Parts: sequence; C-alpha cells; structure tokens
Amino acid sequence: MELGPIFRAVMHQKGRFWLVALEVAITLAIVVNCVNLALDLRGKYDRPTGLAEEELITVQVEPYTEELADEDYRDVVRERDLEALRALPGVEAATAISAIPLSGGGSATGRRARGTEDEPSTTPYFVVSSGAVETLGVELVAGRDFTAAELAMRTEDFEGETTPAVVSRAYAEKVFGRPDPIGMVMESSEADSSEYVVGVVDRMPNSWPDYEEAAELSVLMSGRPGDHRRAYYMVRAEPGALDAVFPMLDEAVLGVEPRRIVEVRTLLDQKRETFAANLALVKILSAIIALLVFVTGLGVVGLTSFSVTQRRRQIGTRRALGATQGAILRYFLVENWLVIGLGLALGVGLTYGLNYALAEAAAAPKLGWELLAGGAVVLWAAGLAAALWPALRAARVAPVVATRTV
Amino acid sequence: MLAYQLRIAANSLRRTPVLSALLVAGIALGVAVATTFVTTFHVMASDPIPGKSRQLFYVQVDNWTPDRPWDRDRPEEPPDQLSWREVQNLLASDLPARQAASFKANLTVHPESREERPFRALTRVTRPDFFEMFEVPFLYGGPWDAAAEAARSPVVVLGEATNRRLFGGDDSVGRTVRIEDRPFTVLGVVAPWAPRPKFYDVTNGALQDPEELYVPLSLTLEMEIRSAGNTSNWKPWDGEFADFLESESVWLQMWVELPTAQARQEYEDFLAAYVHEQQQVGRLTRPVNNRLRDVREWMTVSEVVPPEAKTMLIIGLLFLLVCSINLIGILLGKFLGRAPEVGVRRALGASRGSVFAQHLVECEVVALLGGAVGLALSTVTLRVLNRLFTEGAERELFTLDLTMLGAGVALALAAGIVAGAYPAWRICRVAPATYLKQQ
Repeated sequence: MELGPIFRAVMHQKGRFWLVALEVAITLAIVVNCVNLALDLRGKYDRPTGLAEEELITVQVEPYTEELADEDYRDVVRERDLEALRALPGVEAATAISAIPLSGGGSATGRRARGTEDEPSTTPYFVVSSGAVETLGVELVAGRDFTAAELAMRTEDFEGETTPAVVSRAYAEKVFGRPDPIGMVMESSEADSSEYVVGVVDRMPNSWPDYEEAAELSVLMSGRPGDHRRAYYMVRAEPGALDAVFPMLDEAVLGVEPRRIVEVRTLLDQKRETFAANLALVKILSAIIALLVFVTGLGVVGLTSFSVTQRRRQIGTRRALGATQGAILRYFLVENWLVIGLGLALGVGLTYGLNYALAEAAAAPKLGWELLAGGAVVLWAAGLAAALWPALRAARVAPVVATRTV
Repeated sequence: MLAYQLRIAANSLRRTPVLSALLVAGIALGVAVATTFVTTFHVMASDPIPGKSRQLFYVQVDNWTPDRPWDRDRPEEPPDQLSWREVQNLLASDLPARQAASFKANLTVHPESREERPFRALTRVTRPDFFEMFEVPFLYGGPWDAAAEAARSPVVVLGEATNRRLFGGDDSVGRTVRIEDRPFTVLGVVAPWAPRPKFYDVTNGALQDPEELYVPLSLTLEMEIRSAGNTSNWKPWDGEFADFLESESVWLQMWVELPTAQARQEYEDFLAAYVHEQQQVGRLTRPVNNRLRDVREWMTVSEVVPPEAKTMLIIGLLFLLVCSINLIGILLGKFLGRAPEVGVRRALGASRGSVFAQHLVECEVVALLGGAVGLALSTVTLRVLNRLFTEGAERELFTLDLTMLGAGVALALAAGIVAGAYPAWRICRVAPATYLKQQ
C-alpha cells in the first residue's frame, strides 16, 4: 500500500483536503452532540417508571356543587366512587390519589431522616387511599402496604402524629442511606411533620419526570385525598381490558354524584402530553442529523469528484505505466480514508468543545466517549461510501489519457 | 460597475445550470434551518411589550423563613411570588401609576342551556389596572373600574373564544354568565390576545395558554378561589380559607407601572420602608431582599427561554456553516474551471481586486437566490414546528416577522461570503500567462 505517496499527494493539495477534513470535523461535532441530546431526551421518556403504564387510566373529578365542601360527604362520595369503579367488569383495582404521577402537577415538601442534620430532601408525595400499591402496579421490596386501620384514620387523628408512608427505593437510599428503612422516621426541618416508613417499592415516579434532580424520588402517604375542588382516581384495568373499561368510567362516577365535571384519560396519554415538547425535539434533532450527514456526504462526493477530474492525466499516466483499475480504486479510497480520518481526529476536539459550550449555554447533557467513538465510526463508513462513486470513476480513466495533451 | 458584475454573474450561472442549482439548493437548505431556529429563539427571547417593558416592574419581597433560602440553587433570590397579605399591604400605596396583583384559577362556568354541561375555564383573578398595564385589546366593552373592584362586584371580562362559545360571538356586554353558580355580569370581551411568552405569569412555563375569563381580585375571599398555579410555603398552615390568606404562602404575581426613573426610586424606597416596618412588627424575619425588575430583567431571571431553544439556535447556525463549507469545493471547481477566461481578463488589464470582487458578487447572487428559497422553505418548517409544539393553539407561535426576514437575508449573505471568499481568492491569484499559453 503506497501510503507514503498518498500522504504526500494529500499534503501537496492541502487546500482541498483540508476542506473535506474541516467539513467532516464540524459534522462529527454537530451529529454526535445532537445524538447525545436526542438520546438523553428520549431516555427520560423510555425510563421504566415502575407503574403498570399500559393498564392505568386516570379519572379527574371537579365538583360544582357546594355540598362537596363538607368533608364527611366527601368521604362518603369517595368510598362510593371507588366501590363503583371497582365493581366494573375488567377493573382490577382502583385508588383515590392526590395528583397524577407523570402529569406535571403535584405536591412536594422537604424531609430529612430524624436525628440527622442533613439538608431536607425534595420529597414529592401523593396522598392515597386504599389499594394504591395494587393499582399503581409498583413492586414492594421491603415492608408492607398501608393497613386498613392506617387508611381509616381521620385527618384530625393525624394532628401532630407521625403518619405512615411508603417510599421508593431511590428515596430510601437518598434520605436514609439504606434500601430498607422500615420503621425509621423522616421529618421536616422544623420537626412539625413526620412520617415513618412502612414499606419500600422498587421504583415509583413523581409528577415531574423531566426534573432530573428528583428522579425516582416518590412517597405515598395514607389519607383522604381530594378536596372540594378536585379529586383524582386511578383505575387499573385487567391486561387487555383497557379499551373496554375506558368508556365506562365517567358514567360510573357520575352515577354516584352527577354534579361534577369528569375527565378520563389513559396514563400513557398523560405521559405523552407531559413529554410532548421533548419528543418533538427528538424528531427535530433526528431530521437535522439526517440532513447533515446527507449534505456532508454530498460535499465529500463533490470534492472527491473534483479532485479526480483535476488528476485525470496523473491517473492515465499511472494506468499507462501498468497500474490496474483495482490499484487506482484502492488508491483513491485510501486517500479518502486518510483525509476523513484526519477530519475525525480534528473533530474529536471540536465535539468536546461544542459539548462544553452547549452544556454551559444551554444545560445540555455531558458527552460519553462511547458515543463519540460510535459517531466517528459511522461517519468514517459514510465518508468511504460517499467516495466510492468518484473512486470508481477514477479507476475507469483510460490509459490513453496520458498520451493526449488536452 | 455593479450592474456589469451582475450581468456577468447571471451569465455564468446560466452557463452551468445544474451546478448553479446545486449551489442555490445548498444555501437554501442552510438558510432554511438557520432561520427556523433563529426565529424560535427570537420568539421566545424577544420583548413581548416593547415600548412599555421598561416601565412595568415585577415586585418581589422576601417573606421566607430565616432558616433556609427559598431556592437552594440561588440562595440570594427571594420567592418568585407574593403572599396575599403582602399584596393587600402593597396595593394600599398610591405611588405606582398603575398596579395589578393577579393569579390564575380554574372556575366552573354553567352555560344557560341545560344540555351543555358545566365546564372549567382558565381564569385570571386580577385588578382592573391589569388591562391597561398590559395593553389588553378589547372587542366589546371594557374592564371594571376601581369602584367595582372595591365593591366586590360580580363582574367578568370574557375571552373571545368563551364569548363565541356562550354567546355566539355577539356583543355580550350586560349579559349574565353563571360562574361557580353565581350570576356574573359581562363588562367586556377581550380580542384574541396571547402574548408569547406569557411574561406576566411565568410560574408554570412561559408558553402557557392565555386565560379565558377575568374576574376581580376582591372576590377571592368570599368565593374561596384557589390558585391553579404554584403555591409554595415554608410553614404548614391549617384552618379555613381565611387562615390560608393570612399565611405566608406565596401564590400571587404583582406588577407595578412606574413611568419614570424617579417613580422607580420612590417605589423602591417605599418597599424598603415597608419591609423594615414589617420586620419591626415581627412578621418578616429575613434581611431586606426586595426586587423590582422590569419585564426583560424578570424574563432573564426566570429563564423564560428554554435552554433547548439556545441549543437549537447554535446548532442551526453551525448547520449553515457546514452547508457553506460544502459549497466551497463546488465553487472552487467552478471558478478554477474558468481559469483561462480569467486569464484573458487579467491580461486585458483587470486587477486582482476586480476579479475577486466580481467572483464575490457572483457568490452573493447565488446566496441571495438561495436565501429567498430558504426563507420560503422556512415558512414550511416553522409551520411543522408550530404543529409539533403548540397543538390547537389559537394563534401561530412561530412566524417570520420583518426582523426575521432581515436575519434570513443577512445569514444568506454571510453564507455566500463564507462559501465564496476562498475560491474567489484562489481564482484572482491565477497567473494569466499560464492559461494564455494553453489551448
């Protein structure tokens, strides 16, 4: 392999080849960073939540009668609603909940382990009634669900008391430093509210899946969720029964108390809406990546073609002197390989530079070397493919060209 | 001279139609992508109320607990909203030319006809100054006055869409709407108004939908209207709604209009004196940490422009750069292919500078053509973006205004220079003699 002559030829025609190298370098930087961003955005959406997403339906109820301002009447209605929902065919479980996970709306407070002086951790929480663990589909890995007695306690009974809570494993690790803090207590920094852990679930999301710092931190507290303005139920359908169950839910609830506005949505629709902007951005980034590779590919074809045209006499001379078509093809492919390799080497620095700039200016995620390596390999292959047609053209230059003066 | 250069450029383009088409397409693609993302950034970062943005100020008072700051990541910042008590106290001042405290809520509307079910409408609970401060346009009627606000009158201003839904779009001033099962009198109907970003309330993101109803702030207590936005507190409260209003929970946005620098200074002094007085009473326990920020400052601090918009802006511009660099090779080939012709011109007396200029003009002609096509393309891409990001919105979010058209043209011209400078330089350095010798 005549690497020496090829290298010298490249150095001789510096301008043109540096252009290809520069193009490839910038393309690598942009493509890898876009892929990085797209994977990060998509990753947040695809991350397993621990919920039975395919089977969950959310029911939002907004009363417009003043009667539901009475707490006792609300309790009655809540129980009747749950009874009606659970009685429907195809419904496996139902629970009342203070907000919908993954929806972007909810509550959070601050808690730290009792006896420590740590900074209180962000504690997204859901107040739930009976059947929460079963409905949500989360997996208990330590401890237990709430008991009927705990769920039956009235709000006043909780006054000043430490109340039971079921926490996600990530939360247990963060606040207590261990995955099974059963019986341990967490409290607010003024120590005026506290909960003791009765159970730990493997994974559970909060209302803000995009909020990376609180990822997978989630707590369930037993109580009587919902106020006279709004209440939520989550219904879990038996596998495959979601479409059958969906249309029955609003009637079931309105049958109990008709003076309410009811909105029924599947949890997946809710999740898609929360992530709509992110998913749209992933589509845009994909389009940009495709366009960019295409444009750069065309550029490489153009420049290599031009380079072949400029050197027709040289090629003809080599052929006349005995070089085979295969040798000429190999020559141009290796030359292209070298130039693109040069460009990619240049591009590595540019890619990290762009990543740094994007991280500073726009909170973009950091780049891992595996993605960069993968991107480089793909672009190398693409560049080689782009050079194939001009190289084949070069190989077909007839030796007789060397003998002509034009 | 320019006309001559343009004629030569046009001839040259016509002689190589395929190549020229390729060049134009390259620039068009780059300009389309770059303009699209410059526009998205511009829409989110531009001044939503030019002419008044320096006179409207967002008020912040630090009523948080002394034990920890409101925002751990930015501990010097006061809370981003005010409490009810703060707002009531501050509204008593007559220093601002206009002032409005407000929050958003979901109120139930009961349509007249029995067939239609009640529905929830996004409501802005605010003071009458709001409309003039933010230059809200009216189709019919107008806002309530200070007297109606003080009297807690059940009056409402409708949004255009709700007016269409309830009254078929007619002039509904004077008619009755049942809200939360109380009769409200319609005083006015707002023309379609959706400032983007929604700078007067950024608490749940800046691309939120505008409100459909506007009711007086003074009705909050008796109707027990709760905020549908963010409510934060550092001390749990219990009891009735009235106790909630007395607590230190923050959930209101307050804007004041201060037309002169002197007015601003007076209000800042007033705020400082007010906080001092509250500290004496023992209510506010943190050191004085007020903020009075105008619209632009507030938008910057609240990070209204999503970081993704900045990222796409950078990527869009880099994309244009790559497209331009791609064209360098093609232009090199094209220009050097005409070296004999250039050699003749040089021999006839053309200077290097004029050869350079002429080729640059040719590049810019291509660039402008490409820019025009690119701008046309970007209207399509912007429409796609609108559909992706703002489903069912009344008004298009991303549109090309004059500024953005100008930006597109500027980008095209810049791309032309990037693509053409090196090839033009190479061709102007051609030694005439070499090419005159050849056939």
